[in-house]
Amino acid sequence: MAVILQSRRRKIIFAAGAVLLLAILLGLNADQASEWFEQNDPVLRQALVTGILIGGVFALVAMGLTLIFGVLDIINFAHGALMTVGMYITFVLFDNYGIDPYISILITVPALFLIGVVVQRVIIRPASNAPPHNLLLLTLGLALLLQNAMLVIFSGTPRSIRLDYGRGETPIGPFIIDFPLHLFGTTITLNKLIAFIMAMVLAAGLYILLQKTDLGKAIRASAQDKEGAALVGVDIQRIGLITFGIGVACVGAAASLVLPFFFVDPVAGNTFNITAFVIVVLGGLGSIPGALLGAFIVGITQEMGVVFMPSSTKLLGVFIVFILVLLFRPQGLMGKKE
Amino acid sequence: MNRISKILFAAAILALLLAACAPAAEPTEEPAAPPPAAEPDEPMEDILIGGIHPLTGGLAADGINMDRAIQMAIDEINAAGGVLGGAQLVYLSSDSTGAADVGQTEAERLISEGAQALICCFQSAVTSNVAAISEREGVPLVIDVAVMDSILDQGHTFTFRLQPNATSMGINGANYLKDIAEAAGDSVESVVILFEGTTGFGDSVRAAFAAEAANLGIEVLDEISFEPFAVTDLTTEMTRINALEPDVLVVTGYYNDGLLAARNAEEVGLDVKAVYGLAQGTYDQPQFVTDAGDLAQCFFDSNFHWDAGNPDALAVREAYASEFGEPMRTGAVFSYQSVYLIADAIERAGSSDPGAIRDALADSDYSEYLLPYTGNIQFDETGENINARPVLMQVQDGEVLQVWPTDLAEASPIYPCVSWGD
Repeated sequence: MAVILQSRRRKIIFAAGAVLLLAILLGLNADQASEWFEQNDPVLRQALVTGILIGGVFALVAMGLTLIFGVLDIINFAHGALMTVGMYITFVLFDNYGIDPYISILITVPALFLIGVVVQRVIIRPASNAPPHNLLLLTLGLALLLQNAMLVIFSGTPRSIRLDYGRGETPIGPFIIDFPLHLFGTTITLNKLIAFIMAMVLAAGLYILLQKTDLGKAIRASAQDKEGAALVGVDIQRIGLITFGIGVACVGAAASLVLPFFFVDPVAGNTFNITAFVIVVLGGLGSIPGALLGAFIVGITQEMGVVFMPSSTKLLGVFIVFILVLLFRPQGLMGKKE
Repeated sequence: MNRISKILFAAAILALLLAACAPAAEPTEEPAAPPPAAEPDEPMEDILIGGIHPLTGGLAADGINMDRAIQMAIDEINAAGGVLGGAQLVYLSSDSTGAADVGQTEAERLISEGAQALICCFQSAVTSNVAAISEREGVPLVIDVAVMDSILDQGHTFTFRLQPNATSMGINGANYLKDIAEAAGDSVESVVILFEGTTGFGDSVRAAFAAEAANLGIEVLDEISFEPFAVTDLTTEMTRINALEPDVLVVTGYYNDGLLAARNAEEVGLDVKAVYGLAQGTYDQPQFVTDAGDLAQCFFDSNFHWDAGNPDALAVREAYASEFGEPMRTGAVFSYQSVYLIADAIERAGSSDPGAIRDALADSDYSEYLLPYTGNIQFDETGENINARPVLMQVQDGEVLQVWPTDLAEASPIYPCVSWGD
């Protein structure tokens, strides 16, 4: 008990010190603060809006990652490369056949699900008795393989698509809305809005799947206790296949959603995956709600970095939050205690 | 069943080992020596030229483009009879992966394999490390693209830079901006600089520009950095810039982030007289017009470039495009030029000894240059190309045109102008 108290006291002292340091760094007093706030008001609002919108996409990527970890205990380093595959599928469908990226979700999601199932069956399961670091290397190798294959097929030239709607007056149902939307001094583009809404719908769908269906119960049971699940008749091999497929399908959807405002080159997916790793650890490895919460925290913190850390890279703020959270909750925000 | 799994597993391991160990095995690598056309009486020894560029990773598009250009120049020289009366050039291609430490070990490897001269690197951080190796090993290095001043501040005697350095980019860039504003009967009183802050290049150009801007009476309201390979959105940055109300937004970075900046600037309706690329990897690329469409109109870029008024440069770019089915980027023209510069040095040295090539390079007075320079390619004692300068380009009606200085201009600059203006 004394030890715990001592360590807690140390943490509090540490945190107080950090806050004090931050205050000194910012050199704020009340007057300056209000003046500063007035000056940065529009930027703060935009940071909040952008953070939430981009956080939605991060959430989708992170949920796939955390789901796979929760059930299979695999940290999937190929997640980003698989997202790139989804982005290229979306690009090719748009470029060659004129298929709208939001329609092509109907193709990328099943395609990536299938790829996930095949990867799990052919590459990962045969090695599943190997030590965890071997599995880690295996997924890392798969990432390299995929990246270089895409480099050979598509070359390194970045590709992007430009939708012919969403700029200017756009009919949405009975309304005609002028995009990009300028609300309360912030800018919201149609493509980011759609990405956010669809990501949230898919996240809700995933949640319902996990909570309400038999399949979801089996997946959660496997995550909690593999042997126990097997004992009550859950086919854990099959669940492993499906889980990996669903996890990878998440990045398939994310891939189609980001392409209209991003670009694709053979390493484009990594940009999202690096952030997703941070989110997953922040939210608690294996926790779906944790991934959602973590994604918004990271998205907003990252954008707020633009305001609070002049002339600095915005990910710095994310890592400060990351370290602080892990200091107080080493298991992540919503992770289970060991 | 178990055996099949094991075989599959072994195959997967093998595949990933191949992927990990041989990232340089690009389709760009072609059989080096062309068929022996006219063998001299005694076969002369091949001369090995090493090239180090990012052939994988976020900059692979540029790296591969440059790598191909080197091979193309070497093939041309060999087809025309080689150097020193019949010696063939052989290209040793290697992949820096965009990482400084990898570039360094690759330089060591190429030199141990017998490279007699090196061409590299496209990135300042990688180039710094490679330059140190070339100095230690006594093998001359021609920098095709890498802008940071500090690479040549180390007293290296084996390193030569073809492109204008950061100081030249910054000083010329600031002057061009002021010049075009004045030529248009307008002005530029204040700027915000948005720059990539992680690889060294953006920061070095920013510093030189800011210093010269102060001399010219242009106020730098703020300097905002971003991480080029991790950035997903610049809308918040653009909102912040809009709140500062600068006359002009200056942008420094690579292709993808430059494209994001252009899109996000339009989305927030950035209220500036112009967006001005400074050594920017996007706004002088024809691909920018393809990707951004009508949004691209009026974007400026003060950058190193080939000489669009030189018919030889145009012929080289055409030959490249027809051979590889993609446009030859600016960097690739510099890589191509580097090969010819080295071949010229070998001829004058009358030897393929690296030390002799280095001495000949130092005495270069190369007149058949494809670059918009003020004179022959000559190096000062630090290895800087004394006649190098950037060119100001602008997208006008879907074409990237040289607009300043006037002796290189294909069209007059349009200022003020942004494509989303009313």
